[in-house]
Amino acid sequence: MITRRDLVRALLRRSVADWIVLEHAQELGVADDTHDLRRREHRTRSTVIIHHDVPRGRGSARLEITSSSDGDALGLVDEAISLAATTVGPAWKTAPPAAPAQVRVLDPALAERDLVEAAAAIARGVRMRGSGSSVSVAATVLRERITVQAKSGFHDEWLASQLRVEGLVIAAERSLEIVREARRISDLGLAPAIAAAQADLEQLGEAGPPIAGRADLILSADALLHGEGLGVWSVFAAQAESIAERQGITRYRVGTPIAPGANQVDEPLTITSDGALDFATRSNPVGDDGDAIRRFPMIERGVSVGLGLSVREAALRGRDPNGGVRNLVIAPGTWHGKPGAGRTIEIRRLHALSIDPYTGDASLELALAYDHRDGRSRPFTGGTIRLDLVSALARARRSATTLQRGAYLGPASVWIDGATLVV
Amino acid sequence: MTRTRPSRRELLAGLGIGSASTLLWACGSRPSAVRSTRGVTSTSGEVRTWLRDAVARLAVAYPSVHALAVARRRTTAAIDVLGAGVARARREGLVLTVRDREGLWREQVTSDLSQAGVLAAVRALVGTSTRKATIDFGPPPAQPPAPPRFADAELHDQLETITERDKLDSRIVYAAAMIDLDDANVWSIAPTHDREQRLVRVRKHVVRAAWNGTRPVVSEAERSWIGGLDDHALDVALVRRTSQRALELMTPGVLEARERTVILDPSLTASLVDAIARALLTTASTRRPDVGRALVAGTQVAAPLVTLVDDPTVPTAYGGFVFDDEGDPATPVTLVSAGRFMAVLSEHAGGGRGRGRRPGHTGRLEPAPSHLRLAPGTTAHAALGDEGLLLEEARTTIVEPGMSRVIIGAARARELRGGQQTGRVYGEVELVGDLRTLLGAISGVSSDTNVSSYRDDRDGEPRWRSVEAPWVRTTGLVRLRRGFA
Repeated sequence: MITRRDLVRALLRRSVADWIVLEHAQELGVADDTHDLRRREHRTRSTVIIHHDVPRGRGSARLEITSSSDGDALGLVDEAISLAATTVGPAWKTAPPAAPAQVRVLDPALAERDLVEAAAAIARGVRMRGSGSSVSVAATVLRERITVQAKSGFHDEWLASQLRVEGLVIAAERSLEIVREARRISDLGLAPAIAAAQADLEQLGEAGPPIAGRADLILSADALLHGEGLGVWSVFAAQAESIAERQGITRYRVGTPIAPGANQVDEPLTITSDGALDFATRSNPVGDDGDAIRRFPMIERGVSVGLGLSVREAALRGRDPNGGVRNLVIAPGTWHGKPGAGRTIEIRRLHALSIDPYTGDASLELALAYDHRDGRSRPFTGGTIRLDLVSALARARRSATTLQRGAYLGPASVWIDGATLVV
Repeated sequence: MTRTRPSRRELLAGLGIGSASTLLWACGSRPSAVRSTRGVTSTSGEVRTWLRDAVARLAVAYPSVHALAVARRRTTAAIDVLGAGVARARREGLVLTVRDREGLWREQVTSDLSQAGVLAAVRALVGTSTRKATIDFGPPPAQPPAPPRFADAELHDQLETITERDKLDSRIVYAAAMIDLDDANVWSIAPTHDREQRLVRVRKHVVRAAWNGTRPVVSEAERSWIGGLDDHALDVALVRRTSQRALELMTPGVLEARERTVILDPSLTASLVDAIARALLTTASTRRPDVGRALVAGTQVAAPLVTLVDDPTVPTAYGGFVFDDEGDPATPVTLVSAGRFMAVLSEHAGGGRGRGRRPGHTGRLEPAPSHLRLAPGTTAHAALGDEGLLLEEARTTIVEPGMSRVIIGAARARELRGGQQTGRVYGEVELVGDLRTLLGAISGVSSDTNVSSYRDDRDGEPRWRSVEAPWVRTTGLVRLRRGFA
């Protein structure tokens, strides 16, 4: 069995420009109602990152292993060096180690607790809220000790927790899936999620077909954050990827408005990547390459101002690394969250959201929406909305009410004017 | 939503470091120091001994016991316009599954596939008791043949061959090739069986992108199989065709959105079949009442030309296996026969007949397709089309629950008239409609087929599957995907 210590010892015996070893020692507990299953998992995953300097530049390699991989640590290090030799590029120097971000990522309630029991308790709590409907869930609770060690002498370790609940709410012969992720049990927000699903299932029973045409849009929380993670806002994470930016295949460049006129609207968009937000799901003290995570502005008042920078990208640009794009903090607006006078489609839930990360083109397939027109409101299901997301969100009015969920902190809903519903 | 191809991020990840790093292949020379890759494990007999011992101890306390172990190694080599590299990952794991007398399933999972690791996992389920049930496991199964070894340089050579044979046009702004090998040794041991399989899944993939006006056009091609690295190649014609498709100029103007006769190429047919199987044809999906009520055995759900079988026994199929992750030997399951719904894919643990698969062989059990085969017809695909549109190269396919709406994205639509292509080509279109209507309108199925493969992740572990599909003629609403507010 190869341990982290074996790897470090082996690395010290080889002449390598720089190296980092990350170890994730994880425990998981799963309680799955649907399958009457209790699952307990222990796994250790180590990552060795090597930067190898040769006269023509620097090569890098990343090797991922589980704890019991065969072979000796020295052999593994040699393998990483030979891999690094196949990827030599321009020379760059590793930035001096920086202090890890000060951030809390462990739910104190999970520091010592049996994780299968914790998952089962979450599942039990959900079942009890299912009056009038059937609710089945699979709850996963993860606790991990992450250790980072680098050639520079940098050494850090911390505990983190992560929870994920997947549920199916069934009522009146219809069903809705809910997924919630959080670092703390108290942040899961399952009670309101189930209540909202139950209410939406009732509305689905009365929902009619969509009527095509132009309308303003309201994207409410579940539509805004459809899927797992950042929902529609993920388009800005893709645009802030420094590799894509360097290749010139992003929609906009640093220093320019993200869309024509984006800096001249009433409430220009401001987005910050904050990997040091307490208990947010993408927070961590140190990033995947052993670099300290930093909060940085991505968009300020409609203008692109920052990119996610890995160690290598930062060095090539003469900047400090920031750990890449993490949790997104979107500045709220002043919109009151109510429909306007004309036809407005309020989207409650999506069947699917597909986003082209490079063009920002998106298709929103509607699962439940309300057609507000002439003072009346009609639920419907089906239909597609197509948006140039970058442009639409740059101009959108953002609600004053904020929402924190998973890796997102920002307005609970947005208003987009002038979209087309197609059926 | 279905992702049908490796993402660019996945390609870049193959370049050696992290998800967002492109490393330059500086001098274009072969790496100077390379080592041959080692086999997954040379200790199959040892692992078997530990697992048999574990099963014998667990069988004392539990009426149902299964041990599944895997040693897996992934090698990804990629080359793009900026550089090349190789990435490696090794995973090992053990899943001990027991069912107690109250009917509760328990799984103990560890990444430590050593004697001590197996012992610790057993102790977590039975404590320190060393009692063993007497089980006759029989002689060990024959060791599956190991694939030929290869060196990193061979991967680089193959990537360069793919790239060099295709003289890139200056309008191509992004070009990449990837070879991906997943080499897994899997052991399944229970009181009633002792099985072992070696699955080496190989994918060779190219991607080309060019600007067409203000928008990028991406074209991809792929071959995938179970077997040796050199069993198949991405032939030159296919790679060149991929470049030509990326460069193809689209017909200006608007394609009127209306009902049309369409011919789906095998990639679109496969994308549709895959989305249907995963969204509707598993016990996980039929728990949803809106899906379950639409699927009553014997109901006509498609045209009589449609017969769909999930068949993991097809030799060399990318999604195939010898036994599934519950240890059941591979057998075909007919899902739709002559248009009538027959069965769903189900896992034993969920009360079904068996098709339980675990992401990466150690993830949570789920019913999932392996190698889907849509039965071919008797007409060559060139003879299927007379008037209408030929839709090519799958994008995203969305199947909504309840056999209702389906949206099939395609990279392009070619206009057909009098059985010939008119030369008009529309980029980024989608076929939209009611799923049952669309399947019911299938009026032609080609005799020739192609295979598409899929590799996606769940909780960071891979799921492998493939679809063998013909060209299919049907009708539906076709419209451009682009046209934004």
